[in-house]
Amino acid sequence: MIILKHLKVGDVSYVSHKDTLKVLQRGLIRAKVDVRYSQGYVPHMLTYTTTPVPLGVQSYAEYFAVECSGIDKDELLCRFNDSMPYGMRAVASYCKDKNPNLAALVVASDYTASCGATLSKEIENIAGRDTYVISTFRKGEVVEKDIAKLVHYIKIDGNQIYMRLATGNENLRADSLISHINEQFGCNIKVNDIIRTAQLINCGGVMSDAEVILR
Amino acid sequence: MQDKLKDILMNVHKPARYVGGEYNLPDMDKPCKERVCLCFSDKYEVGMSNIGTRILYHMLNDTPDVVCERCYAPDLDMADQLKKHGLPLFSLETKRDVKSFDLIGFSVQFELQFTNIVYMLDLMGIPYYAEERGEEYPPVVAGGPCVVNPMPFAPFFDAVLIGEGEKNLSELVALHIECRDKKLSKKEFLLKAAQLDGVYVPSLDNPTKRAVVKDLDKAYYPTKILVPNCEIVHDRSSIELFRGCANGCRFCQAGFYYRPIRKRNVDTLVRQACELMDNTGYDELGLLSLSTSDYPQLKELVDKIKVESDKRKIKLALPSLRLDSFEAEIYEEMQGASLTFAPEAGTQRLRDVINKNISEDNILSSLTSALKYGVKNVKLYFIIGLPTETEEDLQGIVDIVKLVKDIHRQFGKSKLLNIVVSTSVFIPKPLTPFQWERQISIEQMREKQAFLREKLRIKNVKYSWHGAESSVIEAIFARGDKTLAAAIVKAYELGCVFDSWSENFDYDKWMRAFEESATDYLRFLEGFGEDEVLPWDIIDNGVSKRYLIEEKRRAYAGVCTPNCLGKCNGCGANRLEKCHI
Repeated sequence: MIILKHLKVGDVSYVSHKDTLKVLQRGLIRAKVDVRYSQGYVPHMLTYTTTPVPLGVQSYAEYFAVECSGIDKDELLCRFNDSMPYGMRAVASYCKDKNPNLAALVVASDYTASCGATLSKEIENIAGRDTYVISTFRKGEVVEKDIAKLVHYIKIDGNQIYMRLATGNENLRADSLISHINEQFGCNIKVNDIIRTAQLINCGGVMSDAEVILR
Repeated sequence: MQDKLKDILMNVHKPARYVGGEYNLPDMDKPCKERVCLCFSDKYEVGMSNIGTRILYHMLNDTPDVVCERCYAPDLDMADQLKKHGLPLFSLETKRDVKSFDLIGFSVQFELQFTNIVYMLDLMGIPYYAEERGEEYPPVVAGGPCVVNPMPFAPFFDAVLIGEGEKNLSELVALHIECRDKKLSKKEFLLKAAQLDGVYVPSLDNPTKRAVVKDLDKAYYPTKILVPNCEIVHDRSSIELFRGCANGCRFCQAGFYYRPIRKRNVDTLVRQACELMDNTGYDELGLLSLSTSDYPQLKELVDKIKVESDKRKIKLALPSLRLDSFEAEIYEEMQGASLTFAPEAGTQRLRDVINKNISEDNILSSLTSALKYGVKNVKLYFIIGLPTETEEDLQGIVDIVKLVKDIHRQFGKSKLLNIVVSTSVFIPKPLTPFQWERQISIEQMREKQAFLREKLRIKNVKYSWHGAESSVIEAIFARGDKTLAAAIVKAYELGCVFDSWSENFDYDKWMRAFEESATDYLRFLEGFGEDEVLPWDIIDNGVSKRYLIEEKRRAYAGVCTPNCLGKCNGCGANRLEKCHI
């Protein structure tokens, strides 16, 4: 199995997760990669991704695992990059004997975003509380959500915000939190200016970049 | 623009429709003398599925000195956002204001898209009527299947391209470059454009002969096509086997319009298929034409392409199979579990009237083959309101459904067979032998639909029908004249847009639009006399009026005209170019 770490930046950040899968799979066909298919009545490509980045949010750290044969990781990276639309370039590839199941292992993501004006340091206080309730949209409805345990940290540096948020089963969407920050602190951070910079796994109590287990 | 778009795109449904960035995007930065924007009067997912605009887009981008970009009708939420932020409609590729292009082309596919032309011009900030646009606006031209009768929308355009864009659009663009080099005015350009084959200039009302491609095998066909980043209606690559149709079904406009028949060779098609499979990554390849099974070497072609598609794990899609030429062998290879048949009429008498050259025996044997191979879903298409139709013909539809069920039972198949019966309403279209017919009233349409609804209450049979009201509007515009342009504008002002989407269609608003624009629309629903001058008579589409009248008489006599694969029936289309089949 080969795992690609790829970008999702620029215009393709507006492509939904479902469509992104299609884009990735078509890229593999164009790259003439011998991908394994399921053995069912309607065979499908055996490919795997991690928790989707929200629509409009860009990413430097998406993972895409492919069950394939007859190709090494470096060759796949080259061919993949020749076959993908602009904004989906792979930046690293790893070979593993079996599926590391990153989707289940990833527990947090790092995000950054910038704004035209200096951001208030008070935003950092969202993290580290016992309880912090925000309103988010879920299936078209406004719901209240306690995010206290889902925000690992928030750091402000001038007009830049850095945050580490829970990802996976316990999940906090970066766009939901930014929308709340915009509303509460009078900022104007655009969803498309948010960038996921890393996906993290818990290695014995220490948060490490998901690439650690791929190396 | 880019910065404002960041705000807008998060507030609209499916933002990927508006950002472009597809794979195989041509070079937008090449040096160019002419920048063309091709506009499609429907949403991205419909427009991106259209083969015609796909061909023209890539053809222009492969032309030296020309860059072509795209613009699709934005959905209503996007239009609201554009207005709210004071932004004009923009091109997908470089996000340029559409009215800043050197030439704007519209593809008009369907009568119920006419209000979308006005909708898009409004969002571009371009006056609706060509006569109101000065030199500050680029020429706006139209093309597409609706130009069979361009009159209802002609006043919105500086020129209408009649026929195949591979020929007349490339000539028009070359002429426009030349005229701009010589600093000629728009009026002078249009005077010269009217001299080209297949260019109708509404302000000059010049008689126009349809432009056709001489040798389809050598005609431009793109194999490095845009691959969308989001789902579209026909998410597959396609090869075009041949253009035109030999069958001459008397209700079918496309069957007459795309004549003369010209085909591509097997080797060309196999090469194009391989290039498309390699360049796109689509997992399905369509073999397109108006009647795919009439392609003379279909078996050889499918065999050759299947060798290549199997290697790449790509499925083949074979639409437009006729009942009489259904080849079980091919079907078996396709491994399909559903099948679509279009007998069009319920009785042999009516099928003879419409020249659907299939017999009861053809239907029986084809369905038997299909059901023998384990088909689980059968879709049957019919038309109601055809000339001379009686209740017996409607009952015939029900009888065919029962026949399918009986055959299925004979094979003792344990699995269920689902049958979907769809009926559309007959609309007399220009350039068909029925172009002089009257359209049945809304009440008659509803009666016929109610009859079938009642009779088709059969287990595992689903009946769906096309809306009566939208069929009336389609019929009015199919045979209308220039007086209807005012009604289109009024309808748009009343809120009619995306009329081809049933959830948006509002018949009452259309009736109000006709009333408020004082348009006499009823006359376009009545029949025309054979010696009457028809609104589209100025356009020579190839097939002669004499032939159409002859066919109309044969229809009323219940006499079939054999398809022209064996012998030329003399329809007149070969005046444009030689028929090749």
